[in-house]
Amino acid sequence: MRHVIIGNGTAGIHAAETIRSLDSEASITIIAGETFPPYCRPMISLFLEGVVSRNQLRIRPPDYYDSLRITPLSGEWVRNIDVKLRRVLTDRGREVPFDRLLIASGADPRSIRAQGSHLKNVSFLRSESHVRDMMDALPYVKRVLVLGGGLVGFKAAYGFLRRKIPVTMLIRSSYPLSMQVDPFAGELLRRELQNNGLDVRVGVEAVAFEGGDRVREVHLSDGSSLKCDLVVIGKGVTPAVSFVPADRIQMDLGILVNQRMETTEPGIYAAGDVAEHFDVARNTRWVNALWPVAVEQGRIAGANMAGRTVNYAGSLSRNVIRVFGLDVLTGGLVNPPREDGYEEIASYDAYRRRYRRLVFRDDVPVGLVMVNYIEQGGVFLSLLQQQRPVGGVRNRLLHPSFNVSQLLH
Amino acid sequence: MKEVIVHPERCVGCMQCMPACAVAHSGSGRLVSAVLELPQPRPRVHVGVGLYDEGFPNRCRHCDPAPCRLACLPGAIYRDPKTNTVLIDPERCINCASCAMACPFGVIRYHEERSAPRGKTVAVKCDNCIGRQIQGLIPACVEACKVGALTFEERDRALKRRTNEVSRRISFSGEEPRIPGAEGFSLLHTLKRTQKEMNELRS
Repeated sequence: MRHVIIGNGTAGIHAAETIRSLDSEASITIIAGETFPPYCRPMISLFLEGVVSRNQLRIRPPDYYDSLRITPLSGEWVRNIDVKLRRVLTDRGREVPFDRLLIASGADPRSIRAQGSHLKNVSFLRSESHVRDMMDALPYVKRVLVLGGGLVGFKAAYGFLRRKIPVTMLIRSSYPLSMQVDPFAGELLRRELQNNGLDVRVGVEAVAFEGGDRVREVHLSDGSSLKCDLVVIGKGVTPAVSFVPADRIQMDLGILVNQRMETTEPGIYAAGDVAEHFDVARNTRWVNALWPVAVEQGRIAGANMAGRTVNYAGSLSRNVIRVFGLDVLTGGLVNPPREDGYEEIASYDAYRRRYRRLVFRDDVPVGLVMVNYIEQGGVFLSLLQQQRPVGGVRNRLLHPSFNVSQLLH
Repeated sequence: MKEVIVHPERCVGCMQCMPACAVAHSGSGRLVSAVLELPQPRPRVHVGVGLYDEGFPNRCRHCDPAPCRLACLPGAIYRDPKTNTVLIDPERCINCASCAMACPFGVIRYHEERSAPRGKTVAVKCDNCIGRQIQGLIPACVEACKVGALTFEERDRALKRRTNEVSRRISFSGEEPRIPGAEGFSLLHTLKRTQKEMNELRS
């Protein structure tokens, strides 16, 4: 059995490990565009902050591929999948035949429409190579412009602020992390960042960048201009599917997969940021481009590829972030639509800066926001993942003493 | 292989397992000096309050597969196969709290720890008293528990005991059926529950 995996991200490597643990004989090939060995993408913001070294990003030992008898094709990109002949074609002209294929190519940053976005030091924050380039520029950077108040923009801003470099952040909503938090927590976050030096501008976009050898100035949609030496574009990611034949493998935003992480083409699977499965809190198809989701999807895809049928119930969006004096843990559907059936409960202790909010759809919790005292977050996320009705225990969930024993009957 | 088994119906909420755990992970090994150590040792077992104010010793289950290990970004969480213990390497830990998101039991805490670099906040959880086990001792929480809510035994043995309790309860020997499991404890819990319900009626 020949397994081919496109991508050496966390979905790909977990699939490879699962296949190897179930099948000691099968051949496994990983085709990876990035040359850096498997590393933890969420940690690159810590690399930017200066808290971890480049080497500490690595999540597997140097002899990883050898020890699992995986054939790595490093720095090689897939150009096409020939579904009929069961082989992939790479940019080096190589044809790699497969019996089972896993597409774990991840997602690419969304680009922006602004003049001069090609200038040096106008960058995404997706790979460790982006951070290395940013760190080369650090010595002369006086101000950073961050486009977007999502997780990437937020973490970029935090990293530079921690390095004592002024940051201006342009966000569309009135508070950052609008996909992850509710307005109340968003406001707490915005104030915390501003109190620590972040210049937040709401409802303003970058229209054009100016500079010669590198970016020097940005022109904004409100008519103003700002001097900046580095721009980070954090406008989300979109699944990397340019090489996927749309006529054979059905896609929406991402590659559509069933309970076994299989695409519409038998024997071809998808997992991680590129895959579109089902979101248990939103109750709809969704791409949750998150690290722990990629891990679980990779493992399940690998199991099914190796012949063991395992079903995936669906993913749950979740995030935890520590920012100056605030710890924020979120999950599920945090800002529900204005429809019947949704209820919310919340509590705020201003002295302790402790906030907890839960969103319910009928009797089932579907959304969670916690600010500080986040240790019980996993208990709540477990309820969300299970879609478990809580009944009378609802009254206890906001209390500081809530713990898992109150869920045991 | 022996494991720590929890018998929640026997917990009276005395919380002695907590200081015992903290002291077992202190430098001096004695309560009077442990409280003065910096960083102050903290327990890895957490007695939670139940719905009727009863106690529950909440400790790491050393799950297999371990959700915390799969969620850990830098790969700081690993398993010791000999004792089936899931351990956190404080050198690798980056205090990101991804494990807090993953643990369905909420047993991980974040603080300074003597085995971690000075001044570094890291994820901390039960380590099965692996240091004590190497010396031939049993986990500190089990040693401290006076009511048998925490035992250190083979899992199958504990399950067999429970099976026997259930069988005796439903046996047709003609004798009076026994009250299952923890006689005195059932009474205690009934009292607590009644008290709680009466308080709620009054208010």
